[in-house]
Amino acid sequence: MKTILFNPFKKYQENTLLIVGVLATFIGSFTAYSFYARFDGAIDLHFTSEINLWQPFIDNFINIASVFIVLFLLSKYQNKKTRAVDILNAVLISRIPYYLLPLLNINNTISGATEQMMTIAGDTININIEAIPMNALIIISLFALISFLALVWFIILLFNGYKIASNAKGNKQILFFALALILGEIITKAIILSIPY
Amino acid sequence: MSKLPIKCPSCEQHLNVSQLSCLHCDTLIAGSYPLPKLMQLPQEDQDFILQFVLHSGSLKKMALQMEISYPTMRNKLDDIIEKLQPKL
Repeated sequence: MKTILFNPFKKYQENTLLIVGVLATFIGSFTAYSFYARFDGAIDLHFTSEINLWQPFIDNFINIASVFIVLFLLSKYQNKKTRAVDILNAVLISRIPYYLLPLLNINNTISGATEQMMTIAGDTININIEAIPMNALIIISLFALISFLALVWFIILLFNGYKIASNAKGNKQILFFALALILGEIITKAIILSIPY
Repeated sequence: MSKLPIKCPSCEQHLNVSQLSCLHCDTLIAGSYPLPKLMQLPQEDQDFILQFVLHSGSLKKMALQMEISYPTMRNKLDDIIEKLQPKL
């Protein structure tokens, strides 16, 4: 069970991982559309009031392509035998925890709670602590906690996939991986913000 | 069958063969013979090499049969190659 959840790359063949990864991307993108979520960065998720069907699909395409290119270049530099399909599978599969997050916005729960909080936070001079709605605060705190766990799960999956694909060893690899992920996030953010779609 | 020790339990250095005997006529040969390179590897690595040869050198076939992914298999082989390469 631990292998399936955190390191499926050790056991499953590339074709199985690729099919699961592509299917998850389509289902995740459609779920995001259904629950008004945008993946506007490699490690980002935001809820919005308006959304078009193609937007989460393009978001995910940009996220996957950016992280794949950065990680693949790093892996090739470290181990010439690294195969593109293994890095692609790592990127595709690692995003599955993120695809579960839009489900938390059923009936616009998160968007509603955020709006309530923003109304109070908007008046920065006279914040009335007693006026903060407890329900909204609990919903946002829970969402923050679950999002954090999804982020950790995503990083574990991506790192394990990268490690197996490139046979990376040692602490230096963790640093290289972290830098590559940050670079992927910067590239993704720059592309998503600069192209209106 | 008892396992052939390849490293000295005291100082962790490689062991040499110092005695060989014929089970048929009890001839005893004494000397100092280094173990072949492959025998200096841990048992797990030796088993991997045996399986690799038995699968005609196909890591893909091995991966499918052992239900382990191809890159995991290739990494194992790369690690063994690294162990077998002479240290500079």
